[in-house]
Amino acid sequence: MKRKLIEKKQQLSRRDFIKTSGTLGVAAILSNTGRIFAAGSDKIRVGLIGCGGRGMYDTTNCLKSAENVELVAMGDLFKDRLDSSLQALKNNLGEKVKVTQDCCFAGWDAYKKVVARDDVDMVILTEAPHFRAEHLKAAVEAGKHVFMEKPVAVDPVGVRSVIESSALADKKRLTIVAGTQMRRIAHLVAIMERIHNGDLGKILGGQCVRIGDGMLGWGPKERQSGWSDMEWQLRRWLFLTWLSGDFICEMHVHNLDVVNWSLDAHPVQCIGMGGRQVRTAPEYGDAYDHFAVEYEYPNGVRIEYMGAQIDGVTDRNDQRLVGTKGSAYMDFGNAIIEGEKPFKYDGPSPDPCIRQHADQIAAIREGKPLNEGKRIAESTLTTIMGRMSAYTGRALKWDWVMNASKLDLRPPKYEFGDLPMPPAAIPGVTQLI
Amino acid sequence: MEGKTGAKNCKLSRRGFIKASAVSLAALGTERMFAAGSDRLRIGLIGCGGRGEGAAKDCINADKGVELVAMGDLFKDRMEKTLEGLKKDFEANIKVTSNTCFVGFDAYQKVIGAGVDMVILAGPPHFRPIHLKAAIEAGKHVFMEKPAGVDPAGIRSLIATSELAEKKKLAIVAGTQRRHQAHYVEIMKRVKNGDIGEIVAAQCYWNGGDMLGYWKWYEKEPGMSSMEWQCRNWPWWTWLSGDHIVEQHVHNIDIVNWAIGSHPVQCMGMGGRQVRTLGNIYDHFAVEFEYPNGVRVSSMCRQITGCADRVSERIVGTKGATYTDSSVGYIEGAKAYKYEGPNPNPYVQEHADLIKSIREGKPLNEGRNVAEGTMGAIMGRMSAYTGRALKWDWAMNASKLDLTPPKYEFGDLPVPPVAVPGKTQLI
Repeated sequence: MKRKLIEKKQQLSRRDFIKTSGTLGVAAILSNTGRIFAAGSDKIRVGLIGCGGRGMYDTTNCLKSAENVELVAMGDLFKDRLDSSLQALKNNLGEKVKVTQDCCFAGWDAYKKVVARDDVDMVILTEAPHFRAEHLKAAVEAGKHVFMEKPVAVDPVGVRSVIESSALADKKRLTIVAGTQMRRIAHLVAIMERIHNGDLGKILGGQCVRIGDGMLGWGPKERQSGWSDMEWQLRRWLFLTWLSGDFICEMHVHNLDVVNWSLDAHPVQCIGMGGRQVRTAPEYGDAYDHFAVEYEYPNGVRIEYMGAQIDGVTDRNDQRLVGTKGSAYMDFGNAIIEGEKPFKYDGPSPDPCIRQHADQIAAIREGKPLNEGKRIAESTLTTIMGRMSAYTGRALKWDWVMNASKLDLRPPKYEFGDLPMPPAAIPGVTQLI
Repeated sequence: MEGKTGAKNCKLSRRGFIKASAVSLAALGTERMFAAGSDRLRIGLIGCGGRGEGAAKDCINADKGVELVAMGDLFKDRMEKTLEGLKKDFEANIKVTSNTCFVGFDAYQKVIGAGVDMVILAGPPHFRPIHLKAAIEAGKHVFMEKPAGVDPAGIRSLIATSELAEKKKLAIVAGTQRRHQAHYVEIMKRVKNGDIGEIVAAQCYWNGGDMLGYWKWYEKEPGMSSMEWQCRNWPWWTWLSGDHIVEQHVHNIDIVNWAIGSHPVQCMGMGGRQVRTLGNIYDHFAVEFEYPNGVRVSSMCRQITGCADRVSERIVGTKGATYTDSSVGYIEGAKAYKYEGPNPNPYVQEHADLIKSIREGKPLNEGRNVAEGTMGAIMGRMSAYTGRALKWDWAMNASKLDLTPPKYEFGDLPVPPVAVPGKTQLI
């Protein structure tokens, strides 16, 4: 009896979400319903698409970030990942995990089955970046709120799709939050306020450097006898550009997103270089191990990015801006301004990986718009543009990459079968598409 | 008769040079004698490759009194080809005889000892510090090509030699010809004058092609020793050329040093070879240099054909920014400026400036400038090869990196490996 009541309430809740998604005019109703859901009494039911390490981490954080958030469905390409993740999540989160065998889906269309469920209010998209654009589209079309990991695409075609889906989410009043948690690190939020307030004066240049950790131990090293080419590549997705976007995209989108944030813009052009000097064994696919890209932002502001995933080198992970009145230094632990208006953050640092989910759950419950889709799509394209420039050796303009590039890394078929290992890019030879 | 007079003049001239070197003010007296380029300047060419031939021609073009009297190279065939090329254009100025053509690892000593006033050092960069030391110790003025060396040991030697040249009043001009190029000179004058405000950042680039059309690659012929093979292919080996960041990109790094008025204090670099398979040099580098006051400078260099080419420098200040490349120079900002004046050939101008300074008894000495520009590039290379961030003071004073081979003789010499960041040792 009690359970039925809750279910009814949830149905109302979902209906209201859909209502608000459908028309702008019902915003007033929404704030009323907002009150009904006050005090966290309304349940938000989550579907997880992509049950790897990050998927489990995000789900754990999401379910812990607010009361009454439950996991109700899961999907992954691989049954083994699905089963082991479900067990681990149950062990970790107990009653919050309501997933039964009949709401666990494996295979290429698993995401469709998760988003098709009426009892899912929100999905967490944590499959390999290659699939994000398609998964987001399906989720938004099905009227789901979305938390999606970065990056959100691996090619310009995917980025365009994400921007379209984000626009649709706006129309439907659906929230989208992206896993670029640096946007919620307290000391970065504080320093950005000052940068945007003009405390550095006019910004003239900057650097973005992330160097270290070769990731050589990541993923299964041995190809199992039953694995098709496709499965082998998927299991090694981090090192395949068509799946991960390469590390500039997969990992360093965080850092370049901070640059975009600080300048409140995306670059207008870039020139990049890179290669693989250490990760040359076949199991490292076609990924590079170092990139250097000069990004030019509006007003001729040049930002130099250097990124490497190589062991045994000097580790660095920082962003720096210089302006007419001072300079800013930012890393995971520090935010410092030197110059006319010096600043050093020494306040609290709540976990941004929890905060991002809490913000989203609150926005859903309060009916407030929260859509980071376009912003993360632009940051992702920033990294893709740098990669394309390094791979081909060509200088590239944002407008061309965003609007004219036909680069589309989708394989001929999504099925477990033959798929040649793509060769590593060779600047001057690899074609600009 | 005419020849004899010439020879007399020449002797006087040489004596005059030495005098000017020995005593600063007494030079004024001799100065007048050398007026109007009527006196001869006897030069020796050490390193008879393409750049050696070019530098000798530029030198002759710069001053009618220049006579090439001695030549030295590792290889007879290279020397003969260069001599032929020089004679074709400048028959009257080429006074080299078979007695003053020297071949081998000690050819440079023989050229220096052949009664010359000045030497042009255009051997592979590896040999520069050794050649410069010998030339300055023997009291010769020097034009030397860039870079100034390939390792910290060489740079330390070159700086010590430059100081000796200072004491001996000998001129050293380096082949960083942008320092003698009109639009660079004008732009830098304005930078020093504060026209772009306080410098806060800079970028410099040498992104170009693979150099295969210019730097030939010689296959190892039967009977050819590994040493000879490597020396003939010098641009492709780090121990000989310093790699392209040193050999070529030093030009652009030198401009940044010039603008900022300092060498970098530390750097972090990366690089690799994604296309190139010859020798052991990389085909791309990217380095962040930090200069005094936290000014960070980005350096990029690439030798890969079919990519976006960019060879230029940009200096960013609080009130404006400069742009310079080999043909254009302008300033954007509060005090905008564009150089529109004449642009004499800087490869000739650098020799003209050198010879003028010798004749006036005010010898130019660019040894330290080019040594520091080169050291910045070497530090960037060392950082990229090892993956380690480096401080100038350490690289300059403590690094033991010395790429000198066990013996200078045509014999076996193992092929050096390509550097792997994180594995290649920092020395």
